[in-house]
Amino acid sequence: MSSQQGGNYGNPPASGGAAYMPQRQEMEYLCADCGAKNEIKSREPIRCRECGHRIMYKKRTKRMVQFEAR
Amino acid sequence: MADSTPKIKILKGAEPDLSAATFQIHDESHTLGNALRWMLMKNPKVEFCGYSVPHPSENHINMRIQMYDNLSSLTALLEALSNLDDLCGTIEDAYKASLATDPIERWDEQS
Amino acid sequence: MASSSSQLPSSVFDPRRHVGINHERVTNVSSTDYPGHYPDEDHSWNFVKFKQKLAVSVKRLSQRSVEFDLVGVDASIANALRRIMIAEVPTMAIEHVYIWNNTSVIHDEILAQRLGLVPLGVDPRTFEFRTPSDAPTDRNTLVFRLNVACERVKSAPRGSASAFTHEHVKSGDLEWVPQGEQAAVFADKPPAPTNKEIVLAKLRPGQEVEMELHAIKGVGKEHAKWSPVATASYRLHPLIVLNPAKPVPPHLAHKFAKCFSPGVVRVDPSGKVSIDERHLRKESMSREVLRHPEFEGCVELKRIRDWFIYFGNFFSRVLMSVCAVNVESEGPYAPEEMFLESIKVMRAKIALVREAAEALLAAPDSEGGVVVSADGDVEMENT
Repeated sequence: MSSQQGGNYGNPPASGGAAYMPQRQEMEYLCADCGAKNEIKSREPIRCRECGHRIMYKKRTKRMVQFEAR
Repeated sequence: MADSTPKIKILKGAEPDLSAATFQIHDESHTLGNALRWMLMKNPKVEFCGYSVPHPSENHINMRIQMYDNLSSLTALLEALSNLDDLCGTIEDAYKASLATDPIERWDEQS
Repeated sequence: MASSSSQLPSSVFDPRRHVGINHERVTNVSSTDYPGHYPDEDHSWNFVKFKQKLAVSVKRLSQRSVEFDLVGVDASIANALRRIMIAEVPTMAIEHVYIWNNTSVIHDEILAQRLGLVPLGVDPRTFEFRTPSDAPTDRNTLVFRLNVACERVKSAPRGSASAFTHEHVKSGDLEWVPQGEQAAVFADKPPAPTNKEIVLAKLRPGQEVEMELHAIKGVGKEHAKWSPVATASYRLHPLIVLNPAKPVPPHLAHKFAKCFSPGVVRVDPSGKVSIDERHLRKESMSREVLRHPEFEGCVELKRIRDWFIYFGNFFSRVLMSVCAVNVESEGPYAPEEMFLESIKVMRAKIALVREAAEALLAAPDSEGGVVVSADGDVEMENT
């Protein structure tokens, strides 16, 4: 069983991480083809700056997830 | 698990003088049950002794003790526990003595 | 001790101590040493007699296994101690996994489960049990961090084997984070996995794991990860009895010897067969000899009912990589300490039950003496 820490949106993890996240952080996406990091703003075309690929992956949440080692 | 569960309960149907009784021992298994049963059966005043694990998901054992001559089964249980402890102590001492004095083959075991 | 010399003690040949091994069945399996079993014989508990007959002898010892003999106890006692070694001797194991990042292909819950199984080399006796309601303290919790990222090594030639850093997340990457007094208490022997080469996950460049792990004290009956042993088993000492009335024909002596484990049966130049009692314990009891009609009646296979050969082994419970290094002790306890720990646990159990029984004796109608029906339901009044 897993439990996600904190119900509040943007609630920082217990250790590590800034006290408050900026309201609008630039979202980084990973190119599905070459793996390069891409900052994509809203209304911008979804396209990799390195290779021009049009599929992007969202990064894993930075929020802590708790598990029982069983 | 609630801590309030008593370690030993005497089940319904026991003789008033406890010459025959079933003890429900909480949080124990075959480990203690069988060893204790053996030690109780070594007592010549015990007419019958047997134990069971009524259900694998219930964390207790039932130990049935019946005595000759209307003796108390609780006394027999205490005596068996005390004898079992002596037995364990003897094995412990003998093991320590063997470890200290016996010639032991020491070998290198690779992972 | 009996088998350190070539001669077994004569009491070994007492037929009451024998379990018969036949072609398709075993005989005389149950112990009979109870009062009333044999007329005019006293088999009641006799501490002095027990002490005389008891023999314990440690035979073999390595970094992570032990073999010893326990002679003169009933199977119920031997089995209790074996069960305790597996299920009730406490150890430390990772229980809570806090994952900040895991971009490896192995899922969080699988990785957490693998982490739980890693044997930790830390003395559990320095820790307390922690119940779910307890707060984690330096007395009940060990903290590790696992921060590993895989990167491409730019200088490495193309196609070389080590083109990446941290291609494998190994148990050796666990980093102990001392809490409170722990830095001082474990200064001599910092807690760490006993085997540093257990592969926990595999990474590709750009993947990383970042997590915190909390290890707590527990016992094997709760979860096998807390079991201090890989195996704890016993077998009964074998015994081969040749029939003097029907000796093995000399021309078949070598065939006869081959029916047993190597070294157990000796054949002298004249073709006479004898048993090498020093090597008797190695006999596998395959019963091969019973398959050959020409040996019928020549030999009886037996085991000694109260001679237990224990074997305890520690082993990493997760798959290990091929390049294993030499480790000093694979487990929280030294192998020879395991049995003593199990006796300690047994005596603690006895003390607990005795305390309850004494309370019952003092006040039979008090809380402990609640009379309940056999199915565990408390009797309701006025029903």
